[in-house]
Amino acid sequence: MTSIQFTFSSAFILGLTGLAFNRTHLLSALLCLEGMMLSLYIALSIWTLETGSTSSSALPLFLLAISACEASAGLALLVATARTHGTDRLQSLNLLQC
Amino acid sequence: MLYCGYLLMFGVVVGMAAVAANPSPFYAALGLVMVAAMGCGFIMCLGGTFSCLVLFLIYLGGMLVVFAYSVALCSDALPTGLAEGSVLKSMVGYLGLTGVVALFQQSSEAPLFWWFVGQESEMSVMQGETEGVSEAYGSGGILLLTCGWALLVALYVALEVSRGCSRGPVRPIK
Repeated sequence: MTSIQFTFSSAFILGLTGLAFNRTHLLSALLCLEGMMLSLYIALSIWTLETGSTSSSALPLFLLAISACEASAGLALLVATARTHGTDRLQSLNLLQC
Repeated sequence: MLYCGYLLMFGVVVGMAAVAANPSPFYAALGLVMVAAMGCGFIMCLGGTFSCLVLFLIYLGGMLVVFAYSVALCSDALPTGLAEGSVLKSMVGYLGLTGVVALFQQSSEAPLFWWFVGQESEMSVMQGETEGVSEAYGSGGILLLTCGWALLVALYVALEVSRGCSRGPVRPIK
């Protein structure tokens, strides 16, 4: 694995671990998800530059548009949670607690 | 320029470790800004000027501003700092794990630490990457329209999800 592939692969996996092992805030999980999308953007841009296929230069832009959709949905859920529960802490989401 | 590229790659990984091991959403947003800036610089080192400009303008200037005021909306009044013991331990753990995996990145034709291989690109007036983005309007017209439609639908999704206390989807059971 070259150093470039190692960089964005480890950035993706670090974001995934942050998303999985987060314990307090919902917003921290959303930010780790955004970090994963950012590492995918960097990966697509570098792939376009390294392989020299210029026609796939627009692919990171489409990835950014779709990740903006996902971020807006996540933030709307966060705002709804903060409105009804008062905070975005994951301890307050205990309706399905057994 | 090779040294600069290596430093920026290191900055991407360290920033991502800061996002993953964040004590509070403030520091996660700060780490994301660092990752975006370092990644933008690295893409620029390889010759992709348009991609890094889009990253700075659209990602940092659009999406992260929205995340920043969402962080201001719902976060603690007294956040725990970065120099706390548990945060330092998790950050050192993440970086150490990345370093251990980095030691295994070798093969028969690429021995250990043979990383500085061919990372330059030449300069010209007509940048291939900037011209290639115009393919989004040419061959990728249908994908462009689909992404625009997806953004419009996401707008209505955000509107409906955050509608109100009595009609919204997330409300406490009385």
